[in-house]
Amino acid sequence: MVRPLTTPEIEDKIIPLDEAVRKVDDGAHIFWGGFGYQRPPIAFASELVRQHKRNLTIYTCGSEVDVEIMAGAGAASRFEIAFVAIEALGLANNIRRRVVEGKVEVEDYSNLAMAMRFLGGALNVPFMPLRSLMGTDIVNKARYRGEKKLKVIDCPFTGEKICLVPSVQPDFSVVHVQRVDKKGNAQIDGIVGEDLEGSRCGKKLIVLAEELVGEEEIRYHPDQTKIPSLYVDHVVILPWASHPMQVLNYYDYDLEHLMTFHSLTRTEEGWQEYLEKYIMGVQDHYEYLDILGWEHLNKLRAKKPWGY
Amino acid sequence: MSAANYNKIEFLVACASRHVRDGENVFGGTGMPLLAALLAKETHAPRAILISEAGFIDARPKNVPLSVADSRYYYGCSASIGLIETLGFILQAGNIDVGFLGAAQIDEYGNINTTYIGPFEKPKVKLPGSGGGNDIASSAKRLILMMTHEKRKFVKKLDYFTSPGHLEGPGSRKKWNMVGGGPSVVITDMCQMDFDPKTLKIRLMSVHPGITVQDVLDNVMFDLIVPKQVPTTPEPTQEQIDIMHRLDPNGVYLGKGGE
Repeated sequence: MVRPLTTPEIEDKIIPLDEAVRKVDDGAHIFWGGFGYQRPPIAFASELVRQHKRNLTIYTCGSEVDVEIMAGAGAASRFEIAFVAIEALGLANNIRRRVVEGKVEVEDYSNLAMAMRFLGGALNVPFMPLRSLMGTDIVNKARYRGEKKLKVIDCPFTGEKICLVPSVQPDFSVVHVQRVDKKGNAQIDGIVGEDLEGSRCGKKLIVLAEELVGEEEIRYHPDQTKIPSLYVDHVVILPWASHPMQVLNYYDYDLEHLMTFHSLTRTEEGWQEYLEKYIMGVQDHYEYLDILGWEHLNKLRAKKPWGY
Repeated sequence: MSAANYNKIEFLVACASRHVRDGENVFGGTGMPLLAALLAKETHAPRAILISEAGFIDARPKNVPLSVADSRYYYGCSASIGLIETLGFILQAGNIDVGFLGAAQIDEYGNINTTYIGPFEKPKVKLPGSGGGNDIASSAKRLILMMTHEKRKFVKKLDYFTSPGHLEGPGSRKKWNMVGGGPSVVITDMCQMDFDPKTLKIRLMSVHPGITVQDVLDNVMFDLIVPKQVPTTPEPTQEQIDIMHRLDPNGVYLGKGGE
């Protein structure tokens, strides 16, 4: 695939969340941004569920609440990932249940393997080599990719064993960042996880951001622009998009809500209760925020200089 | 001098911290390993460099992170980059001295499972998966495994082989050109185990105070090598416990222990 850059004539790429999500067809393949507790596009996951999307395949290193929402509600049925859990709290209960039920299939890789698959996709080469995975069941067992999961070969140059993983060029990349201008110049504070490679490997890139800033602000700190606008197809301005997780310099995780989420997902009934109250029972992301309450949310706002 | 009172978590954190050496590059993760690495920095290993796989380099968190990507890792670190940097440029290039991992199952060569319980075709439980675990186990110079000691976890055969220990014994890491040296120690709430240099099979190293060799043997499902002399694991000092609580003042990981 040769990925066309976006046309420079488009000065304003901002669209609402529901319109961005409508562009994702059932069965689409999506690179999923954020890492662990940091910058996960959780509001995008909830909107995919509200729009009854089905049979999505999600590619990421490690995700937590968002993966639980998409697996639990049946929006995504396949995951090519390295890690899923709610760190510090415990196992990912929804994924755990759906895997046992056979409704969700996980193709297991490692974090570096997934990051290399995105790098390969972004570089437009078919595979990338790495020194992990060999000798283990990640090589020996495949869930659905079969021979196309990975390959261990003798290096044609040195003769040493090396593992090749197939590049990923999904239909969409979805990444949540701190700031963006209306053209799509996206600035990330703190770690990027695998989002540099991931944002450039998809056929279309949707950037969500906590805050809309002017072009002057972008050009004043150009070193913070981790995703230049020329890669970006759509921009969605979406404050608190990572709640109950965190966004550096904007807000901290909501441990109380996170613990409620994790304990409710222990049972199917509990998960259905959460799903109805916080996702299906609200019209959109803003009604979700209203339900959480602004007094509560304000307490989570990041304090300087800590950033959380 | 040993502390008069300590709880299990304080004991294990102090025990793990003694395995971190000065000047080493350490993947600390979260939980007890993170506290152990921070404690080592505050005591015998001030020049140890703490790295989080999410991209934080030389981290000195003021509050303990819950996630490897937690914002708490950001304030005070010397660089904040990404995964290709930490797992690729640093780890895969052979520059991580010690990594910490947990395990749901371990076999006698220190190979670990963090992915499935039950058969792969029809799993009983989906565990978190490798994360960076396989990368760290493949390429860190040394690996410290920490786990709770339950008999069902110390198995003859793993349900799923996620991350490499010493695979099938001598020569097998070389066969796959692995960058790292594999596990050097396993720390549980009963004992410390290391690996017999000839066979690379797991070997009892020390038992914790109040635990007997027989207690340990009753709680593994493979033949554990037991040397003639098995010392008792040293207890934490009051200084170590005080520092731990300064690092985790709200008891996120330490609970209310020691008070």
